[in-house]
Amino acid sequence: MGRNEEQSIEGASGDGPNRRNRSNPLGVVVIIAIAAIWEALVRFSIADVQFLPAPSEIVVAAQEEIVGGEFVGRLVHTVGVTVLGWGIAAVVGVGLGLLLGLWPTAYRYSMTSFEVTRAIPPITFVPAALLIFGFSLKMELVLVIYGGIWPVLINTIGGVRSIAPELRDVGTMLRLSTPETIRKIVLPAALPSVVVGLRLGLSLCLVLAVVAEMVGNPAGLGNGLISARQALQPARMFVYVMAAGLVGVVLNAGLRATAQVLLPDGALKDISAT
Amino acid sequence: MTQRLRLDSLTGLLPLVLLLSVWQLIGDPDSPFFPAPSSWWPALFTLGQGDKIIPAILDTVRTFGLGLLGASILGVALGLSIGVSRAVGRAVGPTFEFARALPPAAIVPVATLLLGFDETMKVVVVVLAAVWPILLNTSSGVQELNPVLLDTARSIRLSRMRTLFAVLLPSVMPAIVLGVRVATPIALVITLLVEYLTAVNGVGALVGEAQRTFQPARVYALIVIAGLLSLVVNACVRSVENAVQRRRVGDS
Amino acid sequence: MAEYECLNLRAEVGSRRGAQRLVLDGVSFEVGAGEFVSIMGRSGIGKTTLLRVMAGLHEPTANSPGTDSMVRFGGEAVAGPPEGVSLVFQDYTSSLLPWRSVARNVELPLEGRLSKAERQVRVGEALEMVGLADRYDAQPFELSGGMQQRVQLARALASRPTALLMDEPFGALDAVTKAELEDQLLEIFAATGTTVVFVTHDIEEAVYLSDRVLVLDGSPAKIVADIPVDSPRPRSQMHTRESPNFLRARHRVHEVIFGTQ
Repeated sequence: MGRNEEQSIEGASGDGPNRRNRSNPLGVVVIIAIAAIWEALVRFSIADVQFLPAPSEIVVAAQEEIVGGEFVGRLVHTVGVTVLGWGIAAVVGVGLGLLLGLWPTAYRYSMTSFEVTRAIPPITFVPAALLIFGFSLKMELVLVIYGGIWPVLINTIGGVRSIAPELRDVGTMLRLSTPETIRKIVLPAALPSVVVGLRLGLSLCLVLAVVAEMVGNPAGLGNGLISARQALQPARMFVYVMAAGLVGVVLNAGLRATAQVLLPDGALKDISAT
Repeated sequence: MTQRLRLDSLTGLLPLVLLLSVWQLIGDPDSPFFPAPSSWWPALFTLGQGDKIIPAILDTVRTFGLGLLGASILGVALGLSIGVSRAVGRAVGPTFEFARALPPAAIVPVATLLLGFDETMKVVVVVLAAVWPILLNTSSGVQELNPVLLDTARSIRLSRMRTLFAVLLPSVMPAIVLGVRVATPIALVITLLVEYLTAVNGVGALVGEAQRTFQPARVYALIVIAGLLSLVVNACVRSVENAVQRRRVGDS
Repeated sequence: MAEYECLNLRAEVGSRRGAQRLVLDGVSFEVGAGEFVSIMGRSGIGKTTLLRVMAGLHEPTANSPGTDSMVRFGGEAVAGPPEGVSLVFQDYTSSLLPWRSVARNVELPLEGRLSKAERQVRVGEALEMVGLADRYDAQPFELSGGMQQRVQLARALASRPTALLMDEPFGALDAVTKAELEDQLLEIFAATGTTVVFVTHDIEEAVYLSDRVLVLDGSPAKIVADIPVDSPRPRSQMHTRESPNFLRARHRVHEVIFGTQ
């Protein structure tokens, strides 16, 4: 599953290591062209799709929502719940992952259960969460935390278990205590995998937050989307859809930047700069 | 070695078995939150709703299948175009990145507004969600193509069509298959999600209905069915992948 | 008193609950303080297992009652890595910490035991000994294979060990680098007087470096020969390898391993 997250479409066309530093005027032109064509199609009723808003209408709606509407509050709510839930999931996932990765007995007596439970996508638990927690913030938070734990847990376990045996032997030879071994050898060695898990988890947390807001917790961007839907205001809907996408991009970029600052260059070879 | 692995797999089930057993012991079949596992299966058939199950499963599988198929065709076509030409890749890159960032769940209300509540809408949403892994893997598969192969085709003076079908596609096949494998669970999850959110048809719709009518045992039972579907679908894709791999034994 | 004493050592290998294979049985030998001893044998015979037992990384299997058996370092039974023993692995890339610089890697054994200032002095000394003083701040991935192995060696030496155990340390290197490192090792051996137990499958290397060559053979394996190498020190790649003492020892090792022809 890892490759999907690490690739970008521009990057996939093989521009090499400098692509991030070069601006992409052609790409920008294409986006503007598409927006212009879209605008024309709607304005002159060439495309007769009922309820399709023109880009200009979306811009207007965005202005209205941000200035006069509840957009900012909803944005803060979604981002807040996502980051909080992800943070808790990260702590639990890494902690449990270290335990299971380092302790063969614990691994042997639990891994299959985790594999089976993981196969059931967190989204399918939304109805159960609704039944148990009702329409509440708790429901959203529980769902986000539950979903976020899995990628972090699985990737942490994988990272710990793939540490070269020589490194573990070095720790033994130097007679390092267990906390020292974890701090000096296990965590740094597993860090690239852990970071991949954290990135996947963050994306998943955001998606679950939005879904929960759409069906259970009347707050946040998801709720904005549904209320616009119910009012049959497509331009407003588009604003919220794009906002959700934008939040995902920004959060992901933020995490990637943090990871690059914290991780030493050599160890980052597994996480290609996308 | 296999014997030991199997034993490890079984012992690993301990927490799950324990959880279900404890749940069974202290669970009350009438609990609004945690009905005991033994009450799940019968709940599928209460109120004469039993005969809705199989059609729902078929509906889900149909949407999933069509969505995955559409995503594959679209993903391969787009992936090939992007992979072959750097200019095309850079041109459409930002547009596609933008589209990829939109969460499928958020797209659903828009889709129902524009397309209505029917099978087409479901399939469109699934395609929009599942196309990306296939697209990305295909285009990078093309990127990593052995240039000697293309030179060989040119020196034999193969036509563009023949080059595409006889050389390009077979070499990119493992990457495509990988992309499809990654896309498969996504397609299934999004199918269930769309069904849950829109109640058009399928297992997801049944879960939504059971939840809104406060039938927790039925909800859990349907969740289990969704999980089993997921396992079966993934196993199928993996065996297809293995079949494709085996035909290429000895390849690079 | 010998530095290392092994009597009737028995060891099994095998994964956790899988089949255990008896690799060593009845292994007995001694290594004197300040000696350079090679343990030779064909691939897979159990040399690494023997070294790991001596390093305290692998527990020997109990012998049948009535048979005296022991592994002792400095007079004390080996139970876990003994104080004063350093181990150098064959796979240098996997045993160096890629996220630490050269100096920080060498510093690792000293952390928590010496002050920062003392550590810096020791690290400097160790890097001098292996000729990498100018690579203090480099990252491991920037270095060639030979250099990475020297970093590992420096790390092993930083703690001023009494005994240095080396598991085919030059096996992954090209011939020229190998020869250079062999000589560097001999210089360090002369300068520090550390006891060295050197595992290798290269006959020439074993005879060139050592005072004695122990040959491990059989299934399960034991020491089948203890061959002294009477070449004087310091040794030289060109002259020693042509000398009668070297050739005699080399001949003897060949005989043991391949049988007389």
